[in-house]
Amino acid sequence: MKLSKSSIVIIVALGIFLIYMFGQSESSLEIVDFSMDKPEAPTTSIASNENRNPYYGDLHVHTKYSFDAYVFGITATPDDAYRYAQGEGIKHPLGYEMKLREPLDFYAVTDHGIYMGMMEAYADTSTKISQNSWAIPIHNINSPENLNDGSFATRANLFSSLIRGIIINPYPYWHPKVIRAWFTKNTALALKSFDYDVHKSAWADVARAAEEHNNPGKFTSFIGYEFTSSTNVEGGNLHRNVIFNSSKAPIRPWSRIDSINPEDLWTWMDKLRDKGVDSLAMPHNSNGSNGQMFEMETFRSYPIDTIYSEKRMRNEPVVEITQVKGTSETHPLLSPDDEWADFAIMDKRIGSRPPTYSMAPGGYVRDAYLRGLSLSWTRQGNPYKFGLIGSSDSHTGAGAYDENNYWSKVGLLDGTAEARGAVPLTAERVEMLKEYSKEYRQPLGISEEEQGTYTAPGFFDQWGASGLAVAWAEENTRDSIFKAFKRKEVFATTGTRMAVRFFAGYDMQSIDLNSESLIKEAYAKGVTMGADLMAEGTQSPDFLVWAQRDKNGTPLQRIQIIKGWIDPTSSTPYEMVYDVVCSDGLSVDPLTHRCPDNGARVDINDCSISQDVGSAELKTTWSDPDFNPEAKSFYYVRVLENPTCRWSTWDAIKAGYKPRSGLHQTIQERAWTSPIWYIPQKGDLDIIPLGGTFRTVN
Amino acid sequence: MRTRILIFFIVGLLIFFLDVAFNSDESDKDIYISDQELTSLITAWKSQVGRNPTDEEIVKIINNLVEEEILYREALSLGLDKEDRIIKRRLAQKITFLKQETLPENPNQEILEQFYNEHKERYFTKPSYSFTHLFFAQDTDSERRSIQALQDLLDDKAPIDSDPYFLGKNFTDKTIEEIARNFGNDFIVAFDHLESNQWSGPFESSFGHHLVLLRDYKDGFFPSFNTIKDQVLNDYFTQIKENAVEQYINDVKSEYRIIINPNLEF
Repeated sequence: MKLSKSSIVIIVALGIFLIYMFGQSESSLEIVDFSMDKPEAPTTSIASNENRNPYYGDLHVHTKYSFDAYVFGITATPDDAYRYAQGEGIKHPLGYEMKLREPLDFYAVTDHGIYMGMMEAYADTSTKISQNSWAIPIHNINSPENLNDGSFATRANLFSSLIRGIIINPYPYWHPKVIRAWFTKNTALALKSFDYDVHKSAWADVARAAEEHNNPGKFTSFIGYEFTSSTNVEGGNLHRNVIFNSSKAPIRPWSRIDSINPEDLWTWMDKLRDKGVDSLAMPHNSNGSNGQMFEMETFRSYPIDTIYSEKRMRNEPVVEITQVKGTSETHPLLSPDDEWADFAIMDKRIGSRPPTYSMAPGGYVRDAYLRGLSLSWTRQGNPYKFGLIGSSDSHTGAGAYDENNYWSKVGLLDGTAEARGAVPLTAERVEMLKEYSKEYRQPLGISEEEQGTYTAPGFFDQWGASGLAVAWAEENTRDSIFKAFKRKEVFATTGTRMAVRFFAGYDMQSIDLNSESLIKEAYAKGVTMGADLMAEGTQSPDFLVWAQRDKNGTPLQRIQIIKGWIDPTSSTPYEMVYDVVCSDGLSVDPLTHRCPDNGARVDINDCSISQDVGSAELKTTWSDPDFNPEAKSFYYVRVLENPTCRWSTWDAIKAGYKPRSGLHQTIQERAWTSPIWYIPQKGDLDIIPLGGTFRTVN
Repeated sequence: MRTRILIFFIVGLLIFFLDVAFNSDESDKDIYISDQELTSLITAWKSQVGRNPTDEEIVKIINNLVEEEILYREALSLGLDKEDRIIKRRLAQKITFLKQETLPENPNQEILEQFYNEHKERYFTKPSYSFTHLFFAQDTDSERRSIQALQDLLDDKAPIDSDPYFLGKNFTDKTIEEIARNFGNDFIVAFDHLESNQWSGPFESSFGHHLVLLRDYKDGFFPSFNTIKDQVLNDYFTQIKENAVEQYINDVKSEYRIIINPNLEF
């Protein structure tokens, strides 16, 4: 029998269609219950506070299961990480102890999903997978002769190769593993560099540790991981952390091997939610995204529409504004009139080698909020209506939040003051960098300065001791804290344990700031951080803000409200920084909207600070002097402490040097709240902007 | 293919020269460079630079490899690994992992209960306090105001002129550690001699002055074995793992003699 060409095509197409409909299964949607038989604490009554408590935590911590942490010499396990969070000391790969001054309330180990657990298998020469030729550079990387900061070149190089996926090495297309990969939608199976069993058991261990340390009422831990994606070619960072709200989680993390498009991650999360597993994703290091974290179009360069906006907001209610690799609030180029914009700026693309500049627009949250208003003006929805948290991104299992107790985050690569660029390099180290430069054809990263030869500026020296996520929740349980993230009632700090309340409404002035029922009334009469405030006619809203200092930290200097809006006739975006309350009883200048200098100073020789300057708490109600009832606007709070020494200054002093010139010598630790969005009333005339879509009115 | 032949040729030549240079016929002076090792280095080179290495570069790669190996072995023969803290620590860690690997079998009830009794303090539920406090904010003449308020309370005068506290007025079932986290370390002395349902103070915190009324005190206690059995089992296994190392050390310790200069001054 002879078949015509077209009928063969039809039969093949039908076959593929049938297999596609009935044959393929999604391995990533298989759900596992990781919960363990753990006794309830005997005193089961958990005190719940209807006015909510601030709980401090870190949702971004790596352990030895991360491909890069292992290359950085990290041997800390998820258990070590959770012990650290609860106050125990653990060891840095260079041998010193890392310990918190005060335990945290919640913590999430978020190892990279891609290659999770694999690096250890490559390095252990007894495993089968390590016998592959591409694994050889990794063999015994953490073995004795290599576990010191002298192996810098190999490590830095490996890291860059790995993050670019060079090691990915597929089987030929006819290989059974490729076919299995296709049938189970599990691309990783088709890679020679992948061992699914090792991967699954690493993930199961991460989940087990989270379950084991979760202690309702006392300490919360989340099952989570990092989706480590970036754009092709440019390497724009699109990293997100994913946390799950229960003991149930998928059998494997969805990683960049499945897709580098974050929209596919959200689709996966949506599907899991349909199966009863809720999760949220938190973008981070938008500062190193080359402007691609908060774009005006989708990943595939289509226009953003309301469906995209809603999907993004459903899955990504909060963004990490600050961490060790810099702060992403705003950039001096974006906010030239903000005197505090030049703070913890890290302007390199994540994982780039050589260090490559990252464009500012599209990479900072204040800009993103304004972009969101612009998108909603053209009726594309607002995909950038997120709340704010901080976290560390430490790869040592232990977040470094204190300026004078700082170990940065990548283990052997930045575990010493000289490696971080705070003090001059030893001659030996200079030689090493020269070799590295030659061997890997990289620019020579050194800089001759007055006190000696330093690492070239613009890398580890731009990093900092930051940050923390703080949730306003009724109780310290997974459910209560997760819900706070979902409703964005959260704020971020640069590591300080200060706390801040923020409310808006039309009757805030009626609340007595000295009354015990202040918070209860504020909840009743207004909305809090992360929420929408709907217009009431043309009434101007009042804002209530109250901050308390870190009891072991530095007193407060001022509270600011940052407003962004678009003009209701021209859609031009604007921003403005208002000081709203000053320390030491000083008052805000109504013309400049600035507090006078409170006189707080730092002695650079020993890092001592002025005594009896600054406030233990600051509290006020404020109304917007430039309020326009028709303008779509957002308001968020920034609280500033008195200045203190930066980690690089502490490092220099401890080593007997002067602080390195060119680096900031002091910083002002701070907190940012999630914004409150003001939603104007729809006018009588339904304006259709040029180029706007008719689909949905937002 | 040609490059590969070239590589073998160079490697052969190198080994020959090295052999001559070190004038040695001992087998531990042989350096074997496997095909696999070499091709992987060249592949790595290619993925870095994006082209094949030139002959000259291949020679360099091999030379580097050989030199590294030579230096490593010479360092070993000079005993440079002996006094290196990092090397010691890593090796110690490796043997620790090895010794921890074997999983013990499930213990019976008796062993578990014994374990529980031996480690009772670990399961101790700490005492907790439930209290109400009145707050007088720093920089508002807080000490004088708090003393006045205490007098007013004793005289049953109302209303009391106090300030709202950031974290609220009523605290339930807080341990001393938790109280310190909410008020600062200085404040916890207040809880040394509090009498129930009686206002006392003023006590100073990081934020101002406080008057405290203790509503309830729960003594610390040891939960019964049955309520925390699973946790005990977990801890038992962890302990076994940790003990394995200790046991191992104890077993071999007797073979060592430790000598310390008793007259060292520092």
